[in-house]
Amino acid sequence: MVDEFTQTLLGLMVAIIMLGMGASLTPRDFYLALRRPYGLAIGVISQYGIMPLLGFVLALTLAVPETIAIGILIMACMPGGTTSNIFTYFSKGNLALSVLMTVTSTVAGVVMIPLILLLYAAALDLQIPREDIVAVLIVLLVPVAIGMGIRKLNANAGAVIEFCGSILAAFFIVFIMATWVPQNWQFLRDTTPSTYVAAIGLGLVGITIGYFFAKALRLHPRNARTVALETGIQNGPLAIAIVIFSFPAEQQQAVMAVPALYSLFIVIVSTFVTLVFRRANTAAEQKMPDSLL
Amino acid sequence: MAQPDRPWTAFYGPGVRTDIEAASYRNLPDLIRSVAETYGNAKAFTCCLPNGMNGTLTFAQVDEMSDALAVYLREVAGLQAGDRVAVQMPNCLSFPVAVFGILKAGCVLVNVNPLYTAEEMERQFTDAEPHALIIVDMFADKIPAATRGHPIPNVIVTRIAEFFPVMPRGIVGLVQKYWDQSVKPVEVAHLRLPDALDAGRSHIARDHVEVDAYHQPVTHDDIAVLQYTGGTTGVAKGAMLTHGNLILNMEQAMELLGGDLKKGEEVVLTALPLYHIFAFTVNLLAFYWLGGRNILIPNPRPLSNLKRAFENYKVTWMSGVNTLFNGLTNEIWFRDTPPRHLKFAGAGGMALQSSVAARWREITGTEVLQGYGLTETSPVLTFEPLGKAREGTIGIPVPSTEIACFDDNGKRLPIGETGEIGARGPQIMKGYWKKPDETEKVMAGDWFLTGDIGVIDEDGYVRIVDRKKDMVVVSGFNVYPNEIEDVLAGHPAVLEAAVIGVPDDAAGEAVKAFIVRADPGLDTDAVRAFCKEHLTAYKVPKLVEFRDELPKSNVGKILRKELRAEQMAQLAAE
Repeated sequence: MVDEFTQTLLGLMVAIIMLGMGASLTPRDFYLALRRPYGLAIGVISQYGIMPLLGFVLALTLAVPETIAIGILIMACMPGGTTSNIFTYFSKGNLALSVLMTVTSTVAGVVMIPLILLLYAAALDLQIPREDIVAVLIVLLVPVAIGMGIRKLNANAGAVIEFCGSILAAFFIVFIMATWVPQNWQFLRDTTPSTYVAAIGLGLVGITIGYFFAKALRLHPRNARTVALETGIQNGPLAIAIVIFSFPAEQQQAVMAVPALYSLFIVIVSTFVTLVFRRANTAAEQKMPDSLL
Repeated sequence: MAQPDRPWTAFYGPGVRTDIEAASYRNLPDLIRSVAETYGNAKAFTCCLPNGMNGTLTFAQVDEMSDALAVYLREVAGLQAGDRVAVQMPNCLSFPVAVFGILKAGCVLVNVNPLYTAEEMERQFTDAEPHALIIVDMFADKIPAATRGHPIPNVIVTRIAEFFPVMPRGIVGLVQKYWDQSVKPVEVAHLRLPDALDAGRSHIARDHVEVDAYHQPVTHDDIAVLQYTGGTTGVAKGAMLTHGNLILNMEQAMELLGGDLKKGEEVVLTALPLYHIFAFTVNLLAFYWLGGRNILIPNPRPLSNLKRAFENYKVTWMSGVNTLFNGLTNEIWFRDTPPRHLKFAGAGGMALQSSVAARWREITGTEVLQGYGLTETSPVLTFEPLGKAREGTIGIPVPSTEIACFDDNGKRLPIGETGEIGARGPQIMKGYWKKPDETEKVMAGDWFLTGDIGVIDEDGYVRIVDRKKDMVVVSGFNVYPNEIEDVLAGHPAVLEAAVIGVPDDAAGEAVKAFIVRADPGLDTDAVRAFCKEHLTAYKVPKLVEFRDELPKSNVGKILRKELRAEQMAQLAAE
C-alpha cells in the first residue's frame, strides 16, 4: 500500500530522474549509436532478450502468486537504470557506452516493453493493463525530451539537471526505504522467500549472464564490465511508476513487491560486483599521463 | 622575395612579413588593455568541465578583474614593480585574470606546475623568491611544506569553478569537497581571489588609482615571466622571458600561421596546460590578441573529458602535443564525429609522428602543423607553413628568426650538415634567472644553442634528428631514437613507443624499445621483423620490452630519461 501523497511524490521523482537522463544526452549520442549498431544490438539483446527471459524463468520456477509474478516480469522488462552509469564509473567501465545503452533501451522500451511483457504474460497466463503501461512510458519520454532540449539550449542548466537527476536516483532508494518499507512491513514479513529470491536473483544472475554474454562476443574487458552492469541494473523507479499508474490499488502492493525490493537489493548487489570488477581488471585502459592536468 | 641568407622566406605565404621589426605594443599590459577595448563584450575565455558545466568571461570582464588584482597586489599586498608572483593552477578562468593582473601590476609572473610535489615547489620558490602566490584550492595543502625555504607573505586562493554561474559553481564545489575530496583545507593565512578583487576595486573607487601607471615604465627589455625548465642539464632553471620576447614571439607565430585565422572569430580549444610555454604564448597570448575565444579545459584526462567541449563549441583551432592528437584519433566518439569547424591544428612540445599526422588528416580533413621551440625561445622558432608542410621536418623559421647548425666547438656549419641547432631572434630569452654560468653554457655569441641535433636543407626546412643527449651510438653508428619511434608508431599494434640506448658489451650501446601494445598479441619477433623492413640493421632494436604505460611529462612528452635512469639502476643492482 502506498498513500496518495507518497504516490504523487514517487511520480514526481521519476519524472525528474527521466529529465536528468534526457539532460545527459545529445542528438550526437544517437548518431554515434546508429553509426555502430553492433554495440546497440548487444544492448537491446541483453536488455530485452536476456533479462525478460530470466524474469520468465524465475516467475515460472519459483512458487509465487500471480501478482508477484507480474512484478517480476515488469521488473525484468525494464530498460537500464541511471544508477548503472554510476556503478560503471566505479568499475572502471566504459561510461559513454553505459549512458548510451541506458538511453537507447529507454527509448526502445516504448515498443519493446509492452510487446515482450505481453508475450511472456500470455505464456504465463497473466493479465496486464497493456494500454496503461504504454501510456506511462510515453508520458515519461516527455521529460527525457525536455531534458535533451534544455541540454541543447544551456549546457550549464543541462549539467545541473543531469546532476540532480542522478542524486535523486540515489535518494529514491532512501525514499523507498523510508516510505514503502514501513507502510508494507507486514506484507514483507508474510511474503514467501521466493519473492526475495526473485528480487535479488534478477540483478545478480542478470549481471552474471550479461558478463558471459559480452565475453562470448569477445568484447574488451572494459566494455564487458559495462554490458554486465547494464544488463543486470534495471530502471527500478520506472517499474514502480508503471505499477503505481497502471494497476488498480488492490493489486499494487503485491505487484510492487519485486520492483521495490529489487531497487533496494540491486544497490548491494552492484556494490559487491563493482568491488569484484575493480579487483579483477584495471589494466588495458587507454591512458594519458597522470600529470597532463 | 627570398633573401639569400634566409632561403625559407620564399615559402612564406603572400603578405607574410619577413621581419617584424618593432612590436605593436609597448608591453604586455598595453596589449591586454588595447585588445580589451577592441573586443569589449565578446567572449574571451570559457572554462568547460567534463560534464559541460561552464563559465565565461568577456574581454571587458577579464580587463576589469585583472585591473582590480593589479591594484590589490600593489596597494594592499604592497608589492613593487619587478616582484615575482607565482601562479599555480590548471586551466581555469582565474588563470588569465591572475596572469594579466600580475603583468599590469608591473610584477613578474612565475608559472608553477600545479602537480609539483612540495619539494619541487620549494626548490622553485627558493630560486624565484615570489612575494605572492595565487594557487588553486586543490593544491593549497602543499603550501606549508613548500614554503619552508622561502615563506610567501601573500597567498591568494582560487578554485576551478571560479567565476562560474552560482549553481554550477556550488555543485562543483560540493562535489570536489565531499565526493572527490580533492579540496583540502588551506592551512596558511590566505585570501580568496574574489575578495582580493573586491579589495582592489574598493581601492580604485576610493583613491582613483591609475592602474596604467604601474606598468608605464615597463619596456620590452623588462622581464615578464620566469618560466622554469629542466633544460638540457637537468637543473631547474628559470628562463627570463621579457615583454618583448613574448609580444614578438606571439606576432612571429601568428604572422606565419595567421593567414586563415580571422580576428574576433576564432574559437580555440586549450587542452594543454597554460603554465606550459607553448599554450601560454600561442593560446593565451596570441589568440587573445586575435580576439579569439579560448575554451579552457582544466583536465583533459581521460580524453572523454574533451567530448562536451567539442560538442558545445565550434572549435576552429586547437593546439596539442603528439600524445593528445594520437589519443584523440583513438577515441571512437572523436573518429565518428570529428570537429566540423576546425581549420587546422598546431602541434608542439615534442615530435609529431607522421602516422599520427596522417590519421588526424584522414579523420578531420585538416592539417596538424608542427612547430618547434623551447622554453628559452618563448617558445616558437619554426612552424610548418600551411599547405607547404614537408614530411619529417618541423617547418621553416618564423619571421625575424635565423636557424643554423653548429658543431661541438660552436662553429657554424654550412647548410645541409648535421649539427646542434642554434637560433637567433627577438624571442631568445634574456638568460637564466640568477644563473649566468648556465646562461653562458647555452649561448654562442647571440646564438642560443638548443641541445637538439638537426639539419637544414637548402630551402630552409629544418629537420630534428634528435636530442643531443638522447642519441644512441651503436658500434660507432649514430642512432636517433625519434626515427625508430616513428617507425614503431607506424605498426598498427603499437599504441606508443619509446627508444633509448642501454650499455652493451659488444656494440657499446644497444637500442632498446619500450612499447605499449594496442594488440596484446604483438611479440618481440614481430616488432623486430617490422623494424627490419624499414630500418638498417644497426637501428633495429636489439631489446624490446612491453609496458602498460610509459613515463610522461606534464604535457605528455614521453620521458626517455626516466626509462634510462630505470635501466641504469637495474644494471647497477645486478
